[in-house]
Amino acid sequence: MPAAASPAPAPQTGPRGRVVLGTACTIQEAAAVRAHLLAQAALPGPYEIDGGSVDMIDTAGVQLVVAFALDCLEKGVPYKWAGRSATLEKAIELLGVGPLLEYPA
Amino acid sequence: MTLDLTQFHEIFFEESFEALDAMEAALLKLSAGEVDAELINTIFRVAHSIKGGAATFAFNEVAGFTHVLETLLDQLRAGKRQVRPEIVDVLLRSGDAMRAMLVATQRKEVIDSTGVAKLRAELDRIMSESGSAAAPAAAASAPPGKPAASGDSAIPGWRIKFIPGPELLRNGNDPLRILRELATLGNLKVSVDAGRVPALNDLEPEVCCLRWNLEVHGEIDRAAVNAVFEWAESECELTIERVGGETAPASASAVAAPAPEAPAAPVQTPAAEATTRSANPDGGSIRVSIEKIDELLNSVGELVITQSVLSQLAAPLEGREAGELRSALAQLERHMRALQESVMRVRMLPISFVFNRFPRLVRDLGQRLGKKIELKVTGDTTELDKTVLEKIGDPLVHLVRNSIDHGIEMPDVRIAAGKTEQGTISLLAYHKGGNVIVEVSDDGGGLRKDKILKKALERGLVTNEVDLSEERILNLIFAPGFSTADVVSDVSGRGVGMDVVRRNINELGGHIQIFSKEGQGSTIRIRLPLTLAILDGQLARVGKEVYVVPIVSIVETIQVTRERVNAVASGGQVFRLRDDYLPIVRLHSLFDIEPDYTDLLDGLLMIVEADGKRVGLFVDELMSQQQVVIKSLETNFKQVTGLAGATMLGDGRVALILDIPGVITRFQAAPEERGVARPQAA
Repeated sequence: MPAAASPAPAPQTGPRGRVVLGTACTIQEAAAVRAHLLAQAALPGPYEIDGGSVDMIDTAGVQLVVAFALDCLEKGVPYKWAGRSATLEKAIELLGVGPLLEYPA
Repeated sequence: MTLDLTQFHEIFFEESFEALDAMEAALLKLSAGEVDAELINTIFRVAHSIKGGAATFAFNEVAGFTHVLETLLDQLRAGKRQVRPEIVDVLLRSGDAMRAMLVATQRKEVIDSTGVAKLRAELDRIMSESGSAAAPAAAASAPPGKPAASGDSAIPGWRIKFIPGPELLRNGNDPLRILRELATLGNLKVSVDAGRVPALNDLEPEVCCLRWNLEVHGEIDRAAVNAVFEWAESECELTIERVGGETAPASASAVAAPAPEAPAAPVQTPAAEATTRSANPDGGSIRVSIEKIDELLNSVGELVITQSVLSQLAAPLEGREAGELRSALAQLERHMRALQESVMRVRMLPISFVFNRFPRLVRDLGQRLGKKIELKVTGDTTELDKTVLEKIGDPLVHLVRNSIDHGIEMPDVRIAAGKTEQGTISLLAYHKGGNVIVEVSDDGGGLRKDKILKKALERGLVTNEVDLSEERILNLIFAPGFSTADVVSDVSGRGVGMDVVRRNINELGGHIQIFSKEGQGSTIRIRLPLTLAILDGQLARVGKEVYVVPIVSIVETIQVTRERVNAVASGGQVFRLRDDYLPIVRLHSLFDIEPDYTDLLDGLLMIVEADGKRVGLFVDELMSQQQVVIKSLETNFKQVTGLAGATMLGDGRVALILDIPGVITRFQAAPEERGVARPQAA
């Protein structure tokens, strides 16, 4: 993650929304994952995303997380990752979406 | 003109099911630890062929899933991934999934997309496992999504613009998988364009809004890149263009096999070539529907009857011409027999078609029950009529499941009994006379006769007063609803099975016997007719009726002498044949008809045998021997115990065909009423 060059936002007391990605985040679960993300997005940020349990994911699943991250970026609500499984890391890497999933410091 | 591809659907399904059988057999060999390249090639070829066919017929879900499977198989084939039990297990389940998808497609039913997606994810997970991925070292040092190592632009490669269409994801094409495959070809640079991804609230999760600009570098054939997008290209915008390499040394380009500018063509890997070869392995054979063969067989049957009529008409004629006519008719008969045998052979299939399902059954069920079981198959090339073959599958499954569940003991029990930890189930098939014998044996605990008898007494199937032979006790397991299982499971133990097995076998004109030794195991022996269509018979007359006795059942025919006939206590009679006493079955009594003779000395005694039992059939006289075309009594009238069917004779009369085991059963059922004694074991 690049070092912060601009003034950092006011320190937060901790994440208020917690996004937990389940073991499966594929097109089969996409509707449920989207609903969960929307529910969390309705809470005030910042958010914590836990992807440590993911062991099945496809492009549909990754795209949902990207959409969530882009929404956060647009609204200026920070998020951070609580964990990413190896499967999730590999998918992010292969699809080239890594930079989109890091909230600028 | 548009070609109607639907006419080829059935052939595709049939061939695919056969191919999946072959795939399963190869996978089971892999499962047993036998890893060789040809086995993996066999499995790969099956997946490749089915994928190709499914795509041709626009069975997209089948094609898409099989493509993923094929990718994993290709990695195994190339030695980029090691075969291990978990992979074999997933491959076996993938074969099941393909079969289920094909069945659903064939029946125009909905495919279980959820189950398929889960399996697909498992395949993806295996392929994404680190350490065994197929990406070359160069790619590992410059992983996708990160800048490629400097100097990449000097290495030839391909620039790809990949814009997924709205249906791409829904049709099972996953860009993640595509990019993963692409990364196996060379050093992959990924640049994603997320500019069209809407707000989460507006995002349709099944539509891919991401786009990619990719570069893959290395000495990569254009066809290989095309192949990666083969199943997605109709659902995306795709631009593939050559990059770099202009500065690469000429010699390096020369070494790189096909010219990169070669037009996009189907991948011609060695496997693809092998597939092309294997697609036509049997050169001169053609696929013919069973209906056509049945029509042919029916026509031959009618010809046999006509030939018989002609022979009968010619019999009383006299003179030189009559002799020549009879000679020509004899020749016709020979040709008819040859023709009939040829047609019958067309219908014959090896029993391996049925046996092939058992390695998987034994493996899966054995694992589930925690038992170690080896399956031995002998005589699987033994041929049987297709109709018979189709009908014995389910009964055999019942028997094998019973052997696994009730026969073979748990490993600790076996060891305690001084046996090997691993049990054995044997399937055996062989010809005997005009029949095929199929045996299912196990070296398990055997049937407990005391337990069977106790259960039979409880259920009122027998009474305490009856002194039952061992054979009769064992046969009690064929009683409807009979089960000695302590625990009812979904495998067996509900008592539904053995009675159905026996009924199915009997309906085929076959018979079933059981042998068991406590502590040593059991054997179920099934005798099946080779065919249900034609029979070599001996005609025998009783009064005005003519019966056909299957020649395979006849031991000999003798004239009775008074001193060899004895009365027995039950009121019946036995005939002394050398060292045996055989019960005499009077056909006229059994079928309630008026005979010419009732005195044994006036008629003939045909000694017939079935299932190891012999009886003497008393008839008025023997007539000719001939092949008869069996017409079902059950279809045209009803099932009658002791009769296997009917046929039409040359003179237009209908003759009833005896089912000898049934005759014995019928007369055993009420021996006192019929004035006969029980049959003797041969």
